[in-house]
Amino acid sequence: MSGRLPYDPRPWRVRRDSALGNSSMRDTLQRVAGRLSKAKSTAYGDYQIADKWRLAGVAAKRRAISQIDELVVQVIGEIERHGGKVHRARDAAEAVRCVVEVAQKNGVKLAVKSKSMVTEEIELNKGLEDAGVQVVETDLGEYIIQLAHEKPSHILAPAIHRNRGQVKELFDVEADRQGMAHLANADIEQLTQFARQQLRQEFLSADMGVTGGNFLVAETGTIVLITNEGNADMVTSLPPLLVSIVGIEKIVGTWDDLSYLLQQPALSGVGQRLSSYTTFVSGPRDESAMDGPDQWHVVLLDNGRRNLVGTPEESILSCIRCGACLNVCPVFRQIGGHAYGSVYPGPIGIVVSANLDPSMPSFLDLASQACSMCYACSEVCPMDIPLADEILTLRNHRVKTMAEPLLVRRTYEMWGRLWSTKAGYQKTIRIARLGQRFLIQKKKLRWAPGLFGGWLKTRDMPLIPPETFREWWAKTHGE
Amino acid sequence: MSGREISDVELFVTCLVDLVRPQAGIAAVAALEERGCRVHFSDQQTCCGQFAYNAGHVDQARAMALNFVQAFEGSTRPIVALSGSCAAMVVEAYPKLLKDVLSETAIERIVSRIVELTQWLQSSDPLEGAHEERIRVAYHLGCHMRRLLRAEDSGQEVLRQQGYEVVELGDADQCCGFGGTFSMSEPELSTAMADAKIAALKEVRQQYGVTALVGADMGCLLHLAGRMIRNGDDFDVKYISELLAGGSR
Repeated sequence: MSGRLPYDPRPWRVRRDSALGNSSMRDTLQRVAGRLSKAKSTAYGDYQIADKWRLAGVAAKRRAISQIDELVVQVIGEIERHGGKVHRARDAAEAVRCVVEVAQKNGVKLAVKSKSMVTEEIELNKGLEDAGVQVVETDLGEYIIQLAHEKPSHILAPAIHRNRGQVKELFDVEADRQGMAHLANADIEQLTQFARQQLRQEFLSADMGVTGGNFLVAETGTIVLITNEGNADMVTSLPPLLVSIVGIEKIVGTWDDLSYLLQQPALSGVGQRLSSYTTFVSGPRDESAMDGPDQWHVVLLDNGRRNLVGTPEESILSCIRCGACLNVCPVFRQIGGHAYGSVYPGPIGIVVSANLDPSMPSFLDLASQACSMCYACSEVCPMDIPLADEILTLRNHRVKTMAEPLLVRRTYEMWGRLWSTKAGYQKTIRIARLGQRFLIQKKKLRWAPGLFGGWLKTRDMPLIPPETFREWWAKTHGE
Repeated sequence: MSGREISDVELFVTCLVDLVRPQAGIAAVAALEERGCRVHFSDQQTCCGQFAYNAGHVDQARAMALNFVQAFEGSTRPIVALSGSCAAMVVEAYPKLLKDVLSETAIERIVSRIVELTQWLQSSDPLEGAHEERIRVAYHLGCHMRRLLRAEDSGQEVLRQQGYEVVELGDADQCCGFGGTFSMSEPELSTAMADAKIAALKEVRQQYGVTALVGADMGCLLHLAGRMIRNGDDFDVKYISELLAGGSR
């Protein structure tokens, strides 16, 4: 069955224009996304063997997807053998219900979370809060946007759209709420210290830890979490109860497979050879362990993923959520993540949102709205997902399912019919020349009908000249 | 031109050059002839179909692709295309687009003949007598030339051979925002991307005193020039052939 993803109900025009009107966000994005893209190419440039390992990682991911059903069975067996409990969730609602039940059964009042896109996908925080559980995000970026009551604007760097001045403002509000003094300035060190102090208390008093999973190794049933802040170490070891929600596409077969993939998110996302912290969880603590949770629940989420296995689109399940395609995307750099209206923004977001949740027209429309077909995403993707081609497939699907406005459709049909013969092409030249005689004001075109009018909203267009190239050729080279 | 072998080429002028910048096509003919080519022009040609293909209108794109094949199948000469993006369309998309209507060999016969103008010029001997005085120009490389044709250097290289000093823009790998009909259906976003490119151009204008923006894809150039003119800036924008024909120097 297909999945359901959260969406922003505002129309595209409103989402886009609100992003384009936010100049401080656009400045921050241009700078940070540009820096991350450069860091990635530098990191690869200096690291000869990286590409060979990357390709082995791609093969491992593709293999895992082709064996997904067997690997799911294997991973469940391994996790339960170590005392974990696996729950399978067909969709977002089932996953949330399952986590809420576990929380309620254990009397959870406070949950701490490490960064997880899949919990954004299922809107877990809302589900837990509705059930009376307080949720605290412990990744710095997630903590910032939680204070701002926002959604992530980037799959790896959720607060990429905010500069440090804006972060300080948020922390000042939080300081006021707690009767604390404001930070003296917006130094990165001070900001980090503030978050660290706040979060330390939450870690110690939390009843439940919640994580996603960057990878899930089938042969031992081990969840792999990579962070740069070490917060996943705290989330997985301090609270007595741990819940991990993982999409089934995160499963890889073996530790050998993992070894080729482990560096990839940090290397491709931020140009770091390895994330600062790598956390492995294979089960609740046994009697000999000093710390760790008493219970470990793993929710394996489908939500539209299994449907894609065996289709031409299955390579998108290889995504490791590194964000490299967002960083390099010229559209993302202009509008940021919120304008996409999905928890998954950027090129991979267009492709994943529309394929996981085909029932949502606004996701399909993004393929036409938020892409200039520059192929930068396809080039940069470490998992060799042909993102631009996937977006093209969605555009074609949009045409085939008549999802376009009728006028646009008719324009392409007429244009295509005329330009597939010489006579039709020449006819359009005659029509255009005739038309522009009526439309010219002060020697310039100011308005044109339909699709073509879009150009003239913001740019000039030269007139059809008295002599086109072919007319010049006929005159100078004709018999 | 003594000592040069005469080679016969077909010109694929592209719809944009034909309709709005014929002088770029005329200059391309001159540049090719000066380098020993005999240029042929099949007037059945219209458009490669890329605008429809990239918008998802596969049926319309296929009809135009078939017309393209018919326009050029009468000879075996190389087809020199005045656009990296259109050349990439033929190379990358035609095999997928035409596989149900033409044989693999028929498709291969057309696809293997396509050469983008600067790639062709790069592989032929440069003209003698480069500029004495170095003229600095800014170069914009289209995304499909960069990423699909993988022709990252040919344009800059042929300009240098003719004595131009070529300056690249900052963040050169970022799309200018043209994107075919994306420029019409999403003018606000497309223009925001153009403005970023124009800001990068402004920097090299100030820093290096470049005298023109040059490129080998008419779509990008029309988009950037159209934006600058709308903002009252009539900075010189040129299709690359216009700088390469001897008569133009």
